Amino acid sequence: MSLKKFSELFGDLDSNNSTNNKIEVLKNYFLSNDPIDNSWAIYLLTGKSNKRFISGRYLKNLFSQIYKYPQWLIDTCYLKVGDSAEVITLLLKNKTNSRKKKLSNISLNKLLRETIPALSKLNEEEKNLEIKNLWETLPEDNHLIFNKILTGTFRVGVSIGLITKSISKLINIEEEIISHRLMGDFKPSIDSYEFLINKNINLQELNSKPFPFLLANTIEDKIFKNSINDFQFEWKYDGIRMQLIKRSGNISLWTRGQELVNKSFPELVEKMSHIKDDFVLDGELLVWNFKEQIAFDFSLLQKRINRKSPTRSIQIKYPIIFIAYDLLEINGRDIREIKLENRRIELEKYFSKWQIKTENNISDIFKICDLIFPKDWPDALTYKEKSRENNTEGLIIKKKTSIYSSGRKKGIWWKYKVDPMQLDAVLIYAKGGSGRRAGLYTDYSFALWKDKELIKFASAYSGLTNIEIKELDKWIRKNTIEKFGPVRSLKPEMVFEISFEKIQISKRHKSGIAVRFPRITKWRKDKKINDADSLENAYELMKKIS
Amino acid sequence: MRTKQEYLIRYKDGNLYCELADIWIDPSKPVKKALITHAHFDHFTFGCEEYISTKETAILLKERVGDNIKIKTFEYGEEFKINGINISFHPSGHILGSSQIRFIFAEEKWLISGDFKLQKDQTCKQYEIVKTDYLISECTFGLPIFKWDESNKIANDISKWITNSPEKTSLLFCYSLGKAQRLLNEISQTNFKGNIYSHGSIHKMNNSYRKLGIDIKDTIKIVNKKKIDELKGSLILLPPSLSKGSYLKNFKNIQTAFASGWMSIRALRKRSGYDKGFAISDHADWDGILEVVKKSEAKNVFFHHGDSEALSKYLVEKESINVLLLGN
Repeated sequence: MSLKKFSELFGDLDSNNSTNNKIEVLKNYFLSNDPIDNSWAIYLLTGKSNKRFISGRYLKNLFSQIYKYPQWLIDTCYLKVGDSAEVITLLLKNKTNSRKKKLSNISLNKLLRETIPALSKLNEEEKNLEIKNLWETLPEDNHLIFNKILTGTFRVGVSIGLITKSISKLINIEEEIISHRLMGDFKPSIDSYEFLINKNINLQELNSKPFPFLLANTIEDKIFKNSINDFQFEWKYDGIRMQLIKRSGNISLWTRGQELVNKSFPELVEKMSHIKDDFVLDGELLVWNFKEQIAFDFSLLQKRINRKSPTRSIQIKYPIIFIAYDLLEINGRDIREIKLENRRIELEKYFSKWQIKTENNISDIFKICDLIFPKDWPDALTYKEKSRENNTEGLIIKKKTSIYSSGRKKGIWWKYKVDPMQLDAVLIYAKGGSGRRAGLYTDYSFALWKDKELIKFASAYSGLTNIEIKELDKWIRKNTIEKFGPVRSLKPEMVFEISFEKIQISKRHKSGIAVRFPRITKWRKDKKINDADSLENAYELMKKIS
Repeated sequence: MRTKQEYLIRYKDGNLYCELADIWIDPSKPVKKALITHAHFDHFTFGCEEYISTKETAILLKERVGDNIKIKTFEYGEEFKINGINISFHPSGHILGSSQIRFIFAEEKWLISGDFKLQKDQTCKQYEIVKTDYLISECTFGLPIFKWDESNKIANDISKWITNSPEKTSLLFCYSLGKAQRLLNEISQTNFKGNIYSHGSIHKMNNSYRKLGIDIKDTIKIVNKKKIDELKGSLILLPPSLSKGSYLKNFKNIQTAFASGWMSIRALRKRSGYDKGFAISDHADWDGILEVVKKSEAKNVFFHHGDSEALSKYLVEKESINVLLLGN
């Protein structure tokens, strides 16, 4: 019933228990708590509570002020812990032994619906006083959850799938139904929880919800043994995967991350509502270069994603398009079970009908994806290599006879991504990681040669195994030249193969180039620093592509 | 102020050394004369001509490495003289037999804290406050994020952890000497009444503790071929060195945990690879170190065994205590 119970649940889920154990723990939690707190628990566990009421920095400053701790000491602790909410929790231990009556049983609902949101309405002084008061009245083992919710950093190693499974077990209803019910903007309330655990499946209620997305697998060699004619080929766009739904006249725009994003793309919602038919389309949202008929870089799309209500000028500056590649439902008829090649025929048929019959022109915001027709597999490879020219990431290959099932089902869809670009670079700086990687040096900067100087060209965090990270961490500590706060400059000695997706001119960087998605793909212990690539090599790579 | 070379005790080749007495403290390489603060292996090295320690430390060391070493022993508080320097051992509360070492020469007092903790531990003598002019202290956990819970709370958490999974065998990893015995002592006072097994290395230390008059609960020595059913719902204490590798294949349906002060940090807990972490330590936490610094009345403090930057800066800024560096 309470924050206390939820803190215990967090503790259980946070230890590396087996999946079955976690499902059991969740089930028991749902059984023994009231619906409203259960709905909040689901809301928190599915990562929907990322609203930041105050920043980690603010929390640290406040603590420093109240308890007279020097800021630098808190910062040093942070380097070890890697999470502001946790640092403050640890520092608060034994600090709050005031004689105030403890709020030992505050309900999740009260805390999340009243206490915390009320903070935003207070002026700074009142707010600080209230947080101090809460620190003093909440029991110590609730501090972590409280601080994490405050700073919008509540996360736990529980997937939506796990929540789905535990609710499915709780009420004995198939996981698909639960996952359907859980999709979208789950608002914590008694009603939403009761809807979730309702034993009667009401199709009407599920009306606005998207179907579970079908995902592509990485290409497998065995596919090349099949006839090229068994497959449909599309470009792999680098946008946001979405389902565009119109049922009973209402449009819903769902991302694969199960967010309803109608508000971010009002022009699309408006245009599509003029279509007479009801439908569910699967496709990709992009910022589109209408002149050249190719997608703009993903970075432009990012400028749209985070805006909840974009102004008219933003809409013009970053024009969007929805490219449909599948039709899943038409006028209430679920056609996911029919073959892809037939769904494609339906998609084309309806698309041309809508183009002619719709009052407003829809083609400036909506189209269906072009298909590619390679003659044979070598030809497919040629197409793939050309994909950088039209700002796509490669090809999507779909079996023509496949039905639209859910998840990353094997043997149906494949992604055939263009090979990453690579350079061998020298490790020159390292910085402490945060979160799970706190206390280890895990953020690295790499350099290329320019004459006899090493010039920084990329930073990367991912790609090493945990064992390699530990080994490198040890090396870093022994080979530091200088420390600047959390950053260490290192003896140039280690060479790494860095892969990336895109390379372009950048005036902002000293190296004059910028790369996208840099990551470590190999620790080249076999190479000396003189074997590393030069900036010239990078420029050549850029020329080769454009 | 004196130069580092003139300190009574200083660093030489990475070890604490008193030149006037030509004696080393917990040296990491063979020397003529070595004072040993306690029987953990990272404070002991083979090949010294003579060792000097408390009686308990000597017995524990001999149990671990054999009788083939020459150890002179003294009681806590008993003063002995080397080259005109008065030396004595005082309880440090770390493990059985562990000690701080005090040097007095020409009215100047030096104190080496050894590894220490202030928390209650029924398996060894409580830390004794010793006044000094110069203090050389360890600072393994020298940040304010480290604040230990009472050990009976941790023991209750462990008890709950075991009893909540009656179908499983609970493997608790901890250091064989000191931590294991402290845990056994604490766990035997909780609601957990199931069987407790311990690995050979721990079993041996349990027996040594008993011989030295410490009350340690009986445990069953773990034999690799124990039947799985027998182990269900029971607790097994193992040294951390066995947590990786094939040893765990001897068991089925297990849950694992590590008992260490580092487990108070979530990121370290997650990265450790254990299912659970219990934050219990035989070293002092931040408040413990500060308390010792203050109560020792030392005017000059040196730190070693840990990252002392933050702690030193804090003492200088907030407490106006003189924190110095020992020379190399």
